[in-house]
Amino acid sequence: MRLLGLIARRLIWVPLTLLGLVVLVFMVSHVVPSDPARILAGENATTAQLVALRHEYGFDRPLPVQLLRYIVAVIHGNMGISLYTETPVAGEIWRRLPATMELAFYSMLVAVGLGVPLGVAAALNRNSWFDHVLRVVTVSGLAIAAFWLAILLQLLFSMWLGVTPVQGRISDFGPSGVTGFYTIDAALSGDWSMEIDVLRHLALPVATLSFPAMATIVRFTRAGVIGTLGSFFVDYQRAMGIPRRVTVWRYVLRSALTGTLTQIGLVFGNLLAGAVVVEAVFDWPGLGQFAVNSILQSDYNAILGFTIYVGVMFVAVNLLIDIGQVVLDPRGR
Amino acid sequence: MGGRIATSCVGAAGDGMIGGSDGRFVLGRRELALGAATLSLAGARTALAGGTGKFVTANNNSYDTLDPHVVFDIGRIASRLNLYDALVRWTDDPPKLNMWLAEKVDISPDALSYTFTLKDAKFHDGSPVTADDVVYSIERILALKKGAYGLFSSVVNPGTTKAIDAKTVRFTLTKPYAVFMAVLPEMWVVNSKMVRAHEKGGDWGGGWLASHEAGSGSFRLAHYDPAVGFSANRFADHFAGWGPKYLDQVEFLGILEVASRVLGLEKGEFDALDGYTPYDQIRRMRGKPNVQILAKPSLRTMYFIIHNRRPPLDDVNMRRALCYAFDYDGFINNLLDGSVARNAGIIPDPMWGAPKDLQGYTYDLDKAKAALAKVKGSLRTLTINALGGYPQSGQAAELLQSGLAKIGVTATILSQPWPVVDAKLGNEKLSADLIPLWRSAYFADPDNWTGYIYNSKQIGRGNSSFFSNARFDELTDKALVLVKQEDRQPLYEEASRILVDQAAGLFIYNTNYYGAFDKRVRGVRYCPIGDAQDMRWQWLA
Repeated sequence: MRLLGLIARRLIWVPLTLLGLVVLVFMVSHVVPSDPARILAGENATTAQLVALRHEYGFDRPLPVQLLRYIVAVIHGNMGISLYTETPVAGEIWRRLPATMELAFYSMLVAVGLGVPLGVAAALNRNSWFDHVLRVVTVSGLAIAAFWLAILLQLLFSMWLGVTPVQGRISDFGPSGVTGFYTIDAALSGDWSMEIDVLRHLALPVATLSFPAMATIVRFTRAGVIGTLGSFFVDYQRAMGIPRRVTVWRYVLRSALTGTLTQIGLVFGNLLAGAVVVEAVFDWPGLGQFAVNSILQSDYNAILGFTIYVGVMFVAVNLLIDIGQVVLDPRGR
Repeated sequence: MGGRIATSCVGAAGDGMIGGSDGRFVLGRRELALGAATLSLAGARTALAGGTGKFVTANNNSYDTLDPHVVFDIGRIASRLNLYDALVRWTDDPPKLNMWLAEKVDISPDALSYTFTLKDAKFHDGSPVTADDVVYSIERILALKKGAYGLFSSVVNPGTTKAIDAKTVRFTLTKPYAVFMAVLPEMWVVNSKMVRAHEKGGDWGGGWLASHEAGSGSFRLAHYDPAVGFSANRFADHFAGWGPKYLDQVEFLGILEVASRVLGLEKGEFDALDGYTPYDQIRRMRGKPNVQILAKPSLRTMYFIIHNRRPPLDDVNMRRALCYAFDYDGFINNLLDGSVARNAGIIPDPMWGAPKDLQGYTYDLDKAKAALAKVKGSLRTLTINALGGYPQSGQAAELLQSGLAKIGVTATILSQPWPVVDAKLGNEKLSADLIPLWRSAYFADPDNWTGYIYNSKQIGRGNSSFFSNARFDELTDKALVLVKQEDRQPLYEEASRILVDQAAGLFIYNTNYYGAFDKRVRGVRYCPIGDAQDMRWQWLA
């Protein structure tokens, strides 16, 4: 019941947080003295054309009215029309969502799948050569800019070794599957050559995105495990003759992961931000690329839509993290 | 004067500007007295089995919509050029206006009525292209008020275009408009029955046409994903027929990152890049064994907009001082490594109407100081509004700022994104003193660079310089109502000279087009309007 109460309390804040986000981003995006009607109409637009467009899209209304209309529309699932593509923003986001989610999912999988064991290994072999090498790697992971790493990987694996494609999500247009995750859709269709092609396309973007995420997870897991290893309960278990392997992986890790879990929430946010750059470099047809396009075209509605999406994802992931922490650490209940 | 009809024919497969000249055969040609050259492709229906596979182009723009009537830019022109046809079409360099869906045009003596007779052409669903489709297409443009609407709105009123019969359509203009033929290539003809069937709530089928096509173009849409691009298969029944070699499939991908486009071409994932590849990358690719570069003069001039009404820039001597204070050679040869060509006036030199002997300004600080000494009003700090994200614009601003400092004029540079600058254009109070930017070929007619952006009637719209000159207006107005190119040409030449004499703008260079292609590519026919993305001529060796 306490867990349900916690979830309920967190959920109450979700709409308020999102409302604040929408108001903030709406106001910031409208401070820029740009005329969306001119963007929409193009360079050769006539005055009549501009007036008609301003009226059609409500740009001639006072800003508070525009904000209110926008909030009401968003509540109804309508994020407006993209000024550049002239299609519904919600549809654009929905169409691109699987590409970004697939990229984010595999990046997190790699980051957590490698980061946690490596962090534990570094903690257990503290100050060994392995720990020192891993420290250099993780510091590099945190320091290297994503776009630079992406280009380096392209040069090495695509241009010199020729083992991965330079860009894209698939060699042709994607499978007409149900999930939008090409790895799953290709598997469901039984087309294994397509599956390999999809994985080859995934390799470099996932490596680029997961590297800094993994570095963070390694650092926090290592610190958490080292801290927990000095606890009395570990000494007690050792005295009781419980095998080290069991102590570390069943008890120490559970306690140490609470800090890592918090970081995973933050890493996910960074991962979404990083996806904007990585998707642009690898021409990954996801939301990151959509965001870049929107910013370049001063497409207010699209920028707002993307920001709301990121906000929702961030809030949702952090809600899950909060719940996960309570599950892992009974003290939180 | 009624329009005489000329027909000339070009087969397909291109003239091989790069990589050979296979497949081109001209069946006959007579120049039109109208000045608009016409080509007919009837008789060139050489449909041989010559498919050469799939051709992938990496483009710097995404294909966010396929609706041909809501966009009007070069970046996304591939979907319009390859999926749709218009009554007339630009090809080659210098651009030639060819009869396309139209067999012939009759122009009334008062130049108000244009009657087109259509060829036997089919849409991709097999239905014939009719006059009703042409009428629907122009009405759709006028109703949507988007894309190329601005080109037609001042001369074509809704409801005035009539289908005389299934093959004859008549446009009735509100006033003589010599540029009408030049802007018609942007009036893409859609299958009216198909679009009507998908209309919802008075949207003219916009919701559907954004992601589908209803055209008669050389290629038929196969796949479309706005986040990726589109692919299209050859339309074997295209009215223009096909040459001995052609592409089976074309694919256009929106690849935003320059490095990814370049690496993809070098690796063989792409066969061509768009025409906006930075020159340093072009220079680097020249040495690559599997890449060939096509370099052609383009029709895009760089210049500074000068606010001609705001003191002290309302004084011609002040404007001349600015023009003498800019280091043209330093900018073109040092900063841009000679990748562009000096253009003394605003009309690109390859375009007719550009005076061949035009003497532009040179970098001469003594003359600048002499002109400055004649300025009657007081000087002040000038504001140069550079375009953020366009390094050349910023470099030009800094170079002018430096030159002005040497003659005792101070200038500040304000760098802002294009949408912000654009929003202020045409606003006499908000627009900056000087804006370094480009004028592209929206239509291949001298009016695009003269009357449209300097005639006083365009102030607040195309004329963002607030330039006003009675003789210039007279010339450009008169040129719009004449039909023959030979009659119009001297008017534009004089107009161009006036702009230079009055220093209405600071004119710098004409852009070159650099197209990067895979070595196997043949038959490219570059046209400044559309770059080299009209794929019906190209094939792979």
